[in-house]
Amino acid sequence: MKHTPLRHRVGVALLALAPLAANAADLTVSAAASLTNAFKELGAAFEAQNPGTTVVFNFAASDALLAQIVKGAPADVFASADQEAMAKADAQKVLAAGSRRNFVSNSLVMIVPSDSMLGLKRLADLQKTEVKRVAIGNPASAPVGRYTKGSLVAAKVWAAVEPKAVMAQSVRQALDYVARGEVEAGFVYSTDAAIMKDKVKVVATIPTEAAITYPIAAVSTGPNPDAARKWLDFVVTSAAQAVLARHGFSKP
Amino acid sequence: MGFDVDIHKTVRSEQRAFELRVRFKTTARRSVIFGPSGAGKSLTLQALAGLLTPDTGHITFDGEVLFDRAAGIDRPARSRGFGYLFQDYALFPKLNVRQNIAFGLQHGWRNPSAKVSSGPVEHWLRAFELGDVAAQKPSELSGGQRQRTALARALVHSPRALLLDEPFSSLDPELRERMRGELDELLQRIDIPVLMITHDPDDLDWFGDEALYLRDGEIGERPPAAPAKERDSANV
Amino acid sequence: MDTSVWITLALTLKVAGCATAINLVLGVAVGWLLARRQFIGREFLDAVLTLPLVLPPTVMGYYLLVVIGKRGWLGHWLQQTFGVNLIFTWQGAVIAATIVAFPLVLKSARTAFESVDPQLEKAARVLGLSEWSVFFRVTIPMAWPGILAGVLLVFARSLGEFGATLMVAGSIPGRTQTLSIAVYEAVQAGQDDTANFLVAITSITCIAVLLAAGRLAPGRPQLR
Repeated sequence: MKHTPLRHRVGVALLALAPLAANAADLTVSAAASLTNAFKELGAAFEAQNPGTTVVFNFAASDALLAQIVKGAPADVFASADQEAMAKADAQKVLAAGSRRNFVSNSLVMIVPSDSMLGLKRLADLQKTEVKRVAIGNPASAPVGRYTKGSLVAAKVWAAVEPKAVMAQSVRQALDYVARGEVEAGFVYSTDAAIMKDKVKVVATIPTEAAITYPIAAVSTGPNPDAARKWLDFVVTSAAQAVLARHGFSKP
Repeated sequence: MGFDVDIHKTVRSEQRAFELRVRFKTTARRSVIFGPSGAGKSLTLQALAGLLTPDTGHITFDGEVLFDRAAGIDRPARSRGFGYLFQDYALFPKLNVRQNIAFGLQHGWRNPSAKVSSGPVEHWLRAFELGDVAAQKPSELSGGQRQRTALARALVHSPRALLLDEPFSSLDPELRERMRGELDELLQRIDIPVLMITHDPDDLDWFGDEALYLRDGEIGERPPAAPAKERDSANV
Repeated sequence: MDTSVWITLALTLKVAGCATAINLVLGVAVGWLLARRQFIGREFLDAVLTLPLVLPPTVMGYYLLVVIGKRGWLGHWLQQTFGVNLIFTWQGAVIAATIVAFPLVLKSARTAFESVDPQLEKAARVLGLSEWSVFFRVTIPMAWPGILAGVLLVFARSLGEFGATLMVAGSIPGRTQTLSIAVYEAVQAGQDDTANFLVAITSITCIAVLLAAGRLAPGRPQLR
């Protein structure tokens, strides 16, 4: 076999891999589950403004996302639903220096299935015997769970509610449990409750110890730092903030 | 006295349907149903034993109705009182000779223990000279010992008739001669009617007081002498 | 971990044990039926009952959720008639694990029964045994190694069941959080030490079960 044809073949093979290499123009955003709908809309807008870049989303509970990043998942941006998860990220040294900033805030609400007849209005009502199960995000892996637990502890009802708690993997799963009527009440963000207006109703806004502000940062080991920086600048523009506001988020 | 049989059964397999139409009466001490492979011999024997249910007809033995479709009678195999010798003896492979012989004497859900012993069991062990191998399993026995164990197992119930399914067809010619001799001798000692099915004309000579010729599912006249090849052909 | 690993292990063994016991009875009954009885639609039934083996567990979990959830037709009926809700209970976890693992014992049982020489059963009948006696004294002794291998596979599968269980029973420590779900939670929360420990326990248990199942599969040369 002659050498020239072989080299030629190898060259052609490498060219065929070029489209894969072009995925260096991917921007991978790992974001808290509650940002799903808003970020998808923002992603489309970002792609329109930055042709050649594809935004790839990864939505889950914030700590779960962090666990992936720490183990080397190639995310460029990390958007968390509370400061604690971002602080953990900082401690594990996975953030690009100076990139961290707050970009929206949210509020915690207590919801019930829309056909609920129990007349629940306050946290103390959860102690009623008719309330058998309450959907709460798992505090070990979801910020919404931490906010909820903090508020329930402050209201001195955590001990009564904990035995009834059904741990959800993320705030969206907590929402689903309530929407299906499998639990009598649940805790989600106001932005999530708005998505299933027909299946759940908000009965109370729950004050939290600290305001619920969402930090966002670039991941130091991310493969596309340029696009990451652009995204960070993008989400605080007035156009992006308007989109976020439409989904129920407030300014940071 | 004896068998009075008139049955019809359609047996369907994927390729074809086989019509069994068997009618005969026999009072002989030893009867042989003789026919080539595929004639329906095994089906007939199983129907007599209650292991196969005919579509229509009746089966009577010694005046007792065992099966009568029209009258809605169908006595299960366990209550017909026959002994059955299967072609490969169908000995229970994990039980020893004693346990095999005593198998049907024990009702309920547990098998007899390895050391089971009782009058009838000991009698047949002695009669068939199986005492030395009584604790062995079928795989450890010779062909002759297996046949005797299977016979003892059937006879321990004092059956009112013995049904034999091609007892020698899986043996080589030498062994066959010897086994025929043994079986003949054993049968002379016990005095109950015997019905045997076979495709081997030699068996006919040895055993048949009365011969019934079965071909394509029907009893008929003796066919012309079968060519030598057919004697060793495989069974249905 | 707040809940002790041993409680989680005990719960997992309880769920897997119940699922296995139920599947033993169901698998033997249905396997026998498919092996020994001819009826129209027999192979179709076999295929339908084998479906949980090929459907993704989350899909199975979703079907179960829709059927036995509070708004599902079966769940609603159970709620009305017995005041019972299976979602988020360990009994719900048992149901999920049972259904997902059933095909494993069904296949093994059917094959095992089909391998029993019908002549032996016929011999037993003629010797005077009732049908139940034939079943317990002839059929089962010859079929049980194959059945047992299937049962052990069911146990191993139930032990590791995740997708359907998570959907139906949720993740409630001490009540429905089985070992595999606990591993998932630990990883999500960044608790690697806990995750490693749980993974080790689960792996050892499953390997032991598979080795035992391999010994009992028919056809393997016996040392005895």
